[in-house]
Amino acid sequence: MFLQNALDFLPVLLEGAVVTVKVTALSFILSSVIGLVFALMMVSNSKLIARTGYTLVNIIRGLPIIVQLFYIYFVLPDFGIQLSAFQAGVIGLGIAYSAYQAENFRAGIQAVQQGQIEAAESIGMRGAMIMRRVVLPQAFKIALPPYGNTLVMMLKDSSLVSTITVAEMTRAGQLIASSTFENMTVYTLVALLYLALSLPLSYGLRRLEARLGTRNTA
Amino acid sequence: MISIKALHKSYGSTRVLEGIDLEVNSGEVVCLIGPSGSGKSTLLRCINGLETYEGGDILVSSERVDRHARSIHTIRTEVGMVFQRFNLFPHRTALQNVMEGPVYVKKESPTAARAHAVELMEKVGLGHRLDAYPDQLSGGQQQRVAIARALAMRPKAILFDEPTSALDPELVGEVLGVMRTLAKEGMTMVVVTHEMAFAREVSDKVCFLYGGKIVEAGVPQDVFGRPAHPRTQDFLRRLLNSSEPQA
Repeated sequence: MFLQNALDFLPVLLEGAVVTVKVTALSFILSSVIGLVFALMMVSNSKLIARTGYTLVNIIRGLPIIVQLFYIYFVLPDFGIQLSAFQAGVIGLGIAYSAYQAENFRAGIQAVQQGQIEAAESIGMRGAMIMRRVVLPQAFKIALPPYGNTLVMMLKDSSLVSTITVAEMTRAGQLIASSTFENMTVYTLVALLYLALSLPLSYGLRRLEARLGTRNTA
Repeated sequence: MISIKALHKSYGSTRVLEGIDLEVNSGEVVCLIGPSGSGKSTLLRCINGLETYEGGDILVSSERVDRHARSIHTIRTEVGMVFQRFNLFPHRTALQNVMEGPVYVKKESPTAARAHAVELMEKVGLGHRLDAYPDQLSGGQQQRVAIARALAMRPKAILFDEPTSALDPELVGEVLGVMRTLAKEGMTMVVVTHEMAFAREVSDKVCFLYGGKIVEAGVPQDVFGRPAHPRTQDFLRRLLNSSEPQA
């Protein structure tokens, strides 16, 4: 019985899983880019820029992700910005998570030893080049464990975009469950599929850390 | 080449340098010695603008050193620095460390920079470890790469900030050996060191710092042989009594 149902539901759920992966990947990239910008602002020598960075991060972090999604999907159209549910989901999740990414990167940047910056200065490098060629490559490796953790969290939190009608895996499960009442089968499958995505991801990240970790610090 | 006049520096209310005057001519080796906290490392770090200073002047090739001026980058390409803790870039190989400045700061062609870098790695005795990462090298080897990295910029002078203090005793000799060669070749060097045998053998001038001042300066024969100032006498006596390894 379970198996028969499972086979019936699986194709729909897998379609949802594809959307889940897409939403996660795109919003992860977006959050990385915005987060890096925020992190660079926070470590800026200019007090004004640094304070702006911290303020933005605190505001984003202080708002529930669902509220941010609702705002982008339901409120922005009033200002003439019309986004599809998928676009709104990716942008909303990307912005919401950029605050955590910013903290990951900032911590990584600040963990790079001062001696590295001095060595770069001593061969005549300037700020932007020091950041790009010396600090960020090391900061990224330092930040990799929390960065990977954020990716796994995003995979799970991508289910939040179901609230704005994006047909990702959780949403697909809800739809099947509400029409068949096979709650146990459906949500067991959904849970298993999330694990099927997140466990290999965690494992892969661990491998990556181990490979890069040896040249971590000076 | 390097001219320091009435240099003053404080950290908050702590005065670190109180009126330093020092001339370093082209081709000279000047060693700065003295107890820890005497200000010798700070003095060195002021010369290439890693530290700011409040009073006096530092001129490098007649250009005033100012950490916040645009000219500082040019000065730094002319004055190399070797650090106590090496500070090699851990994510790049030894050869890439040496090529980094010439390629990305001086915009030399990678081919030419590579050839020069290989030559320098051979000069410091590491021609066989070009592709090693810093964490695969011993402290002595890392410091020799760091010297090659400084040399790659074709500097007019190199500052050494206690280059052997972080090394195991058996590795000190290989680094001093490279420095000795540079001194013989006429490189202008300012060296903060606790290696008295080296200072005595290689320097043209030795400055003894105490409490942020140069209390005694002169040729090594005088400073080590007939120290005039009681502080210098005291410092050297303590060093001789401790088991200072003869380099």
